Amino acid sequence: MKNNNAKVIGITGGKGGTGKSTIATALAVELAKKSRVLLVDMDADCPNDHLLLNIERNNPITVHQRIPKWDFKKCTKCSVCADVCETNAIVRIDGNYPMFLPQQCNGCGACAIKCPVDAIFWDKKAVGTIYEGSGFGIDLISCELKINEPVSEIVVEKAGELVKKRKEKYDYIIVDTAAGTHCDVISALGLCDFAIGVTEPTPLGLHDLELIMKLLSRMNLPFEIVLNMYQEKQDELVNKTVSKYNKAIFAKVPYKKEIMIAYSKGIPVKEKSIEKIAGWVETL
Amino acid sequence: MKQITILSGKGGVGKSSITASLAIALLKHKKIICADCDVDASNLALVFGMKEGDYEEWKNITTNKKARVDLSKCTSCKKCVESCYFNAIKWDIKKNIPVFREFGCEGCGVCELVCPSKAIELYNVNNAKIGYGKTKYDFTVVSGQLEMGESGSGKVVSAVKELAKAKAKDADIMLVDSAAGIGCPVIASITGSDYVLGVCEPTPSGFSDLKRALLVVKHFNIPYGIVINKFDINEEYSKKIEEFAKEKGAKILAKIPYDKSFTDALVNITPLIVFNPKFKALFDKIASNLSCDGII
Repeated sequence: MKNNNAKVIGITGGKGGTGKSTIATALAVELAKKSRVLLVDMDADCPNDHLLLNIERNNPITVHQRIPKWDFKKCTKCSVCADVCETNAIVRIDGNYPMFLPQQCNGCGACAIKCPVDAIFWDKKAVGTIYEGSGFGIDLISCELKINEPVSEIVVEKAGELVKKRKEKYDYIIVDTAAGTHCDVISALGLCDFAIGVTEPTPLGLHDLELIMKLLSRMNLPFEIVLNMYQEKQDELVNKTVSKYNKAIFAKVPYKKEIMIAYSKGIPVKEKSIEKIAGWVETL
Repeated sequence: MKQITILSGKGGVGKSSITASLAIALLKHKKIICADCDVDASNLALVFGMKEGDYEEWKNITTNKKARVDLSKCTSCKKCVESCYFNAIKWDIKKNIPVFREFGCEGCGVCELVCPSKAIELYNVNNAKIGYGKTKYDFTVVSGQLEMGESGSGKVVSAVKELAKAKAKDADIMLVDSAAGIGCPVIASITGSDYVLGVCEPTPSGFSDLKRALLVVKHFNIPYGIVINKFDINEEYSKKIEEFAKEKGAKILAKIPYDKSFTDALVNITPLIVFNPKFKALFDKIASNLSCDGII
């Protein structure tokens, strides 16, 4: 490979369970036959790529978010900190010290800026972990949100920093996003040069496909659509939806019991359609 | 009114299909209302065959703020850029002005607070819409849809549940269909629940994700039961889930076999139990399990 900066391809889909991880892992394994591949599992809520590939995860890095801490010797109980807190993480209790709910805090820092007596300094809370591993000739980075923490985006952002630093080491980086279309997905897609939207031939898949295509267009990210769990003649509606964006379904992964069984056993899926997608990625 | 929340951690394992069929099974004895709390990808109404026109009302809601700058007041001091914890403000070197990124602003207001020339203000954004309507099965579904790329999904979930409570009238049960994952919107869905129904597929990822979601449920001290969907695609894993349930003192409410009618029902936008009545007994059993345990 002459290019010394990896191409970054995001696998996304809007709806959950359409096969994002199945396709991301299979594609990574396929590309790794010829190239250096990094797979990044950015579904921090429910990371699964290591399970699908039976890869043991090591080298945990804890991801922290800053949170305020009060010096009660200085605090005058004015509760201005509570008044400026947009996430209601600080509660005003008249005549007493403010009450702090760390799980609501996003670390914005408004409280520390507004405290008139500089009584607020920074502490941190752990919000997740980033692991590494390798198998099938690919390297894996896996994000995991800490239980009861609400904001997956922080973990995804941190993993994104790691990915940016390692672009030179790889030919391809495959980014597997979470379901949905909000902050953690956008943050993951923000790293990508191209995206593959994975959908399924049900009205629900279709509904969410429209949302993800709208998002990808708004982000100006070139994309192709892959129809997973395809059964005979079930592509008409999907094709119609995809054609609104002047596209056609790029590849169809058939609905096969063998694929489901391989999936449930942690064996990467081998399929002609995956080879087709890999072939496309290699031309990027 | 009892609130039962259906969740799974992993997406696409059958939450909405199961919620819809359970709703129909419960209808025989109870008055119900459904809240679709997957505001990123709201699908529940669709499973009942409800279309956009079947909604009685949609309204825009604001659960979030964003910052904007009045460039005529900006002195190019860069304080806003330096103080934004979310990197939502970039500096345009050529024009010497701050540029607010389309996605990324959390509406925290720090830039407004630090701006010495009062050039920045927070404004309310219509970041979501919520609506309600009757299904052809004669009960109400409340849905929410977060605008593309907006944050604040947890607050939108709370708004959907509030609206469901307001529309519930004399309903006995509110079924809450949660989003995939375990973060903000899922935590908001679980809050206030009397019972959680965890849906699980017998696969390594399905099991791993359900366990993560149930840890959140445990934090709230809410009792839960488990439905194993497609239990026969990997019976060895189904056993693992059953052992897990036993260890946690949770009931296995049902084991649903893999059946093509699940997908066919979705394609026909009809709840599974209406589409293929052979599933009726199975969902009746879930309902009677819930009733035996005093949940409903």
